[in-house]
Amino acid sequence: MMVEPIRETASPIVAAQDARPPVIEISALGKTFTLDSGPVVALESVDLTIRKGEFISFVGPSGCGKSTLLNMVAGLLSPSQGEATLNGARIDEPSRQVGFMFQTAVLLPWRTVEENVLMPAEIFGTKTQALREKARSVLEAVGLGEFLKAYPQQLSGGMQQRVSPRTLTSEPDVLLMDEPFGALDEFTREAMNMELMRITQAAGITVLFVTHNITEAVFMADRVVVMTPHPGKVSGVVDVDLPRPRDIGQMQEQRFTDLMFKVRGILGHG
Amino acid sequence: MAKSAALQMGQQVGASFQNGKKQEDLRYRLYSLAIIIVILAVWEIAPRLGLVSPIILPSFTAVVGALISLMQQDFFLRHFSVTLTEIVVGFVLGTSIGLVLGIALAVWPAAKRIAYPFVVGFQAIPKIVFAPLFIAWFGFGMSSKVVMAVVVSFFPVLINTMVGLESVPAEARKLMRSIKATPLQTFRKVSLPHALPVIFAGVKAALTFVVIGAIVGEFVGASEGLGYLVELYKNQLRIDRVFAVIVILAAIGAGGYFLLEWLDRKLIFWRSDVEGK
Ligand SMILES: Nc1ncnc2c1ncn2[C@@H]1O[C@H](COP(=O)(O)OP(=O)(O)OP(=O)(O)O)[C@@H](O)[C@H]1O
Ligand SMILES: [Mg+2]
Repeated sequence: MMVEPIRETASPIVAAQDARPPVIEISALGKTFTLDSGPVVALESVDLTIRKGEFISFVGPSGCGKSTLLNMVAGLLSPSQGEATLNGARIDEPSRQVGFMFQTAVLLPWRTVEENVLMPAEIFGTKTQALREKARSVLEAVGLGEFLKAYPQQLSGGMQQRVSPRTLTSEPDVLLMDEPFGALDEFTREAMNMELMRITQAAGITVLFVTHNITEAVFMADRVVVMTPHPGKVSGVVDVDLPRPRDIGQMQEQRFTDLMFKVRGILGHG
Repeated sequence: MAKSAALQMGQQVGASFQNGKKQEDLRYRLYSLAIIIVILAVWEIAPRLGLVSPIILPSFTAVVGALISLMQQDFFLRHFSVTLTEIVVGFVLGTSIGLVLGIALAVWPAAKRIAYPFVVGFQAIPKIVFAPLFIAWFGFGMSSKVVMAVVVSFFPVLINTMVGLESVPAEARKLMRSIKATPLQTFRKVSLPHALPVIFAGVKAALTFVVIGAIVGEFVGASEGLGYLVELYKNQLRIDRVFAVIVILAAIGAGGYFLLEWLDRKLIFWRSDVEGK
């Protein structure tokens, strides 16, 4: 049974998943920024346990602290209260087991697409032939197989965004995604989401996925964490008990619509 | 199901666009050429018609004649190489100092807070006024001119290096932090290449200043060099030779500039105006 103290109760069908070991444990995590105009509570006391291989979506309107939460889990931002742990160890710096996909692709114009993808490997000192193959397969998965040797400025904006899943090349245990496909058109985004879900499910990667889009959040997730602003906080968690592998057809099912309404409801009440 | 067609789309650049651009380039080159011809023609005809005294403005062909005869003199090479040496040494030292100081101020916040007011204050001084002082300190030889060249040229490199390094996008820094890159790795792989176009603009500006610095130094006190020759011929009222030396100095400046421009293209191949290839 779910034991973490969250307000919205878990649906009973997911009990079987609880055998998986917790990877990320967030307890009483909060962040207050101090500005000249006074303190801003970006995130208030979040408690959440994320198990191995789980896909968690975070939805909520702009400014509800989604990026703040993700940055703290990434070890890029230090918490004001509480803590987050990764495999039991307190997170206070970035970890190589954690991959981060940012809102923009961050491509260096003097490196080819391939060289950009291999940058982390260069830093880690793990740039091997096997890794090159891995990079190639990731780029092929997002339809950029023919653009390995191209420079980023030779790609369209959308194609540049599609390089984001490069972080998978380093085979992280945990993947943090901060709306990496936000600027893509709906078709491409859907295709990217499907591809990402396939890869992460197959590899057993734990995913924290931030989005504004409720449909997408529900469709991808095992659980949807619903957040509301002023101050940023978690208002509820909705279990998504739709079977996997998912396909677009499931969006037409009554259960899917119910889940979306549930998320909407929590967002509405704040 | 796995991969949709949406992911397979590439894109092409129109070839006609490239063609149109080439024609446009040619047209602008013709305009430039026309302007040069007009200037040379006026330069040639005005003194000949007596519109200006040849003492004030020798005709174009007179200057060309003076240039050829000057270059055949034994002493010419000595003066030429003195000035060229001052320029090259001053340029290398000035840009190196600017680069090192710029990097230091950019990567070391304490250094910036302490030193920056002095740097800006120093820049506010018209440094040409130091020329007589440097002659007194470092003598009539090349060293005083090199010092002058360095003093007037390091600043654009310093400021551009600092600004370039500091303008690395926050997202790129965040990426490097998230993969636990060391500060040195971030500097080498991200900050420095990112700053390179801006640094190069500073280096180009420095070249112009170096030439000015060396010549002013020679004006103020020297017994050799092209600046010294200008002074000498002016006093002898051999204005055609003054112009000849000016042409040589212009050629040195232009040569250096084109060399830098070429290096810039090689080094910074990713500039957005680089098309095709
Ligand atoms: N570095 C910062 N300094 C000050 N305030 C900040 C900082 N980062 C975030 N905030 C504030 O914290 C709150 C939450 O910001 P956050 O970026 O986490 O929101 P978000 O949910 O990711 O929004 P969006 O969907 O627009 O990306 C906002 O009110 C924001 O103004
Ligand atoms: Mg955000």
